[in-house]
Amino acid sequence: MLEVTGLCKTYKAHQVLSEVSLTAAPGDCVGIVGSNGCGKTTFLSILAGAVRADRGSIRFHGREAVGHGKVFYEEAAYVPQENPLIEELSVKDNLSLWYRGSRTGMEEDLKTGAAAMLGIREMLKKPVSTLSGGMKKRLSIACALSNHASVLILDEPGAALDLECKAEIRRYLEKYREKGGTILLTSHELPELSLCTVMYVLKEGKLRKIENKLGEAELIREFQKQEEKH
Amino acid sequence: MFAGAIALLFLAGAIALLAGRALYGDAAAGRVAVGVVLPKEDALARQMVSMISSLDSVKSLCDFQYMEEEESIEALKTGKLSAVMDMPEGLIQGIMDGSNPAVRILLPGNNWLESRIFRELTEAGAKILGASQAGIYAGNELYRMVGMEALVPELERDLNQIFLSYSLPREDYFRHLKVSATGDVEVPVFYGISAYVLFLLLLAIPVSGYLLPFSPVMRRKLTLSGAGSGSRVWGKIFSLGSLFFLMTLVAILAAKKMPGLSELLNPGTVGGASRGIFPAAAACLALLLVCLAAASLVVVIYQAAGSLLGGIMLLFLTVTAQHFLAGGFLPAVFLPRTLQRLVPAMPSAVLMEGVQMILARDWSFAAPGKLMGLLLVCSLLAILLERREG
Repeated sequence: MLEVTGLCKTYKAHQVLSEVSLTAAPGDCVGIVGSNGCGKTTFLSILAGAVRADRGSIRFHGREAVGHGKVFYEEAAYVPQENPLIEELSVKDNLSLWYRGSRTGMEEDLKTGAAAMLGIREMLKKPVSTLSGGMKKRLSIACALSNHASVLILDEPGAALDLECKAEIRRYLEKYREKGGTILLTSHELPELSLCTVMYVLKEGKLRKIENKLGEAELIREFQKQEEKH
Repeated sequence: MFAGAIALLFLAGAIALLAGRALYGDAAAGRVAVGVVLPKEDALARQMVSMISSLDSVKSLCDFQYMEEEESIEALKTGKLSAVMDMPEGLIQGIMDGSNPAVRILLPGNNWLESRIFRELTEAGAKILGASQAGIYAGNELYRMVGMEALVPELERDLNQIFLSYSLPREDYFRHLKVSATGDVEVPVFYGISAYVLFLLLLAIPVSGYLLPFSPVMRRKLTLSGAGSGSRVWGKIFSLGSLFFLMTLVAILAAKKMPGLSELLNPGTVGGASRGIFPAAAACLALLLVCLAAASLVVVIYQAAGSLLGGIMLLFLTVTAQHFLAGGFLPAVFLPRTLQRLVPAMPSAVLMEGVQMILARDWSFAAPGKLMGLLLVCSLLAILLERREG
């Protein structure tokens, strides 16, 4: 269970987040949409513990995470939009670098865990520089999920991937959700947003819940609606 | 990229040599201007100085100028004089009776070549004077023993003149003592140390890709993994420092196989040294400190540059310029005096001092202290830049 209350963030004079609150239960897939530069990445970075909020509370299964890095470390898996991989190293080396557990735990994951489901075992010896965008994204997700987190946070997971890779990633996310994991993702693509059980629009620092499974035109109308309101 | 680094190294050497010629030209062969402050109405002292200045060995190197104390100190400060000799009252009488009042020698703090030469001359002169006094006192004693006490003053006068005129021929003096612009080390050792430091700093070029500031996403992930800005910067410094250290060990092993170089690397070649486990362990630690300090300088340069090409250019320009100002290409004594003041602040000077300490096994706190200072200043700057990026 993820509970976010009264989250605020200001960069210099610009208020990126203003009293943002949301709740996500196990099995939920929460989609955050909004125009470019509206603060989606900042919001996800705060939820993952990579950026500090000015004010507010983030609770994972009742444990307060703000000011307690260990809670973020244990409960959140963050997959940024760009891959945090070292191109010159092999897949195995990158996995070892980011893996948050023992060597035997990693071997176990490669056999039966998230890494196995994402097909990492087959490409272990390859240098990352030779992987396709989809393979790199799968590796990024495997690295992030090495702590067996209950909340998976993805920043535009399908960006710059081909259709097949996007479909692979979606299949994995479905499985993760079915196993009781909570997903938070940002995206500009409708097939990805179709995974979501709850949708929010982020505009001018405010988060507003919107109807799920909306089409492109309806989503654009939702954006404009908020602009008119302000 | 490694070949590029070597090419840059040669280019740096050529630039520095040309710059050195342009800056100093033939002035390195200048004479030693010495100010002489005499006590008032001491004709004997003036006569003595006049006698010394007319000796061949002194005349060929020094120009003596008689002046007042304040005037001489001002001239020393402005660089018009390389040394000042302040003669005390009753100097001659003191030499005769053995009380030996001290002659005050004032030298500038910058350790110019002329001042070093004059210092060596005065030290040698003091030794000669001591030996000559012993000879005169021996003559006195002999006269007293054979009952010729009345002839002692005549003996002293004659011996003083004869002894001094024979004891200061320049060729005898320079046969035993060499004054070098490279300080306490031989010229080949000096340039070996300088080349090593330059090589160390430019060795970072082939691994430039790893020294660039982290991408925002990498920084974010490292933060999540518990690596803050300090850990990230220290991680880079330790990695690069370890690489420098390993490369140095490889270079030492290779040099040991070469007949000419192996002698230079043996403890005892530079200054007095002792063998044993402690000096070897201390040398390893000091070498690691040198490598870490050099790595910290490189890391801060790449952190400031922000891009690959910018980093390589900035590293090359900064390292070459400061190495020149540190007296790495041309010894500091050949630099213009205004630039000489910058020498102690140059990282290459600090690194070279550390390497010299290791080779000489001349342990002190000064060189490691400066290396630690360089390491701390550079790492703090790099952390500040990393925080600003974050």
